[in-house]
Amino acid sequence: MPLVIFVDDSETALASTRMVTSSMPIEVKQYTEAQTALAEIQAGMTPDLIITDLNMPVMNGFEFLAEIRKHPTTKRTPTLMLTTETKDEMKAQGKALGLTGWIVKPFNPAQLKQAITRVLRLS
Amino acid sequence: MKFLNSINDLLDHIKNVENDTIELSRDSSIKIASFIERNKLEVDDDVAEALQYQDIISQQLSATIEAIESVQSSINLFEHSSKNDEVIAIESIGKLHKKLNDSLEKAKDRRKAFSGKVLAEDDVEDGIEFF
Repeated sequence: MPLVIFVDDSETALASTRMVTSSMPIEVKQYTEAQTALAEIQAGMTPDLIITDLNMPVMNGFEFLAEIRKHPTTKRTPTLMLTTETKDEMKAQGKALGLTGWIVKPFNPAQLKQAITRVLRLS
Repeated sequence: MKFLNSINDLLDHIKNVENDTIELSRDSSIKIASFIERNKLEVDDDVAEALQYQDIISQQLSATIEAIESVQSSINLFEHSSKNDEVIAIESIGKLHKKLNDSLEKAKDRRKAFSGKVLAEDDVEDGIEFF
């Protein structure tokens, strides 16, 4: 099963994504800190899709994205930003860093599933 | 200046209330989410969206706490620089006024930035955009 990792400092946001994706044919790993997810990637974890929040303490979503793009195994891994931010300049910054897409919170469950399905080409 | 001390105390109080509210809303949402998962309940779209509001509440309140801290910092600077000199005090009021306005503008900007689809003035459509 494809591995999807979620990075979000909000435990309730992670719970929401966990509930919504529980019926999907994917393996899910969740992290409340981007630096922990990054350490696992550097230790050999190879996610098929990364979904990350933007505003997080210590390492924000852009910093995390920049780091994973430096790593050979995640250089081209599809990555979606799941955030409350709606500003076009932030989206442009994400796009420049190689982001695959932008999802605004609160997400619609059916649309999140569709986005994951589309990126992973599950259907 | 005593009235500035009172304002500072009031701002501290507001920050404490906001921090308590963040904690309570997080505990509440986590307990509800745990109950749903433990009992393997299926959530519909409305409930899944409602659970995400806690994140937005938390970010909005955190942004106002940051704004309050910025105001407190400006007040403290004003108080320090104008303690013994009336001329400096008058100049400092102008600077304080500007700093407070800057804090307000930044706070308003963050309110918009952290509201997601909930308070969006622009049409955010379905909220998903592929690049």
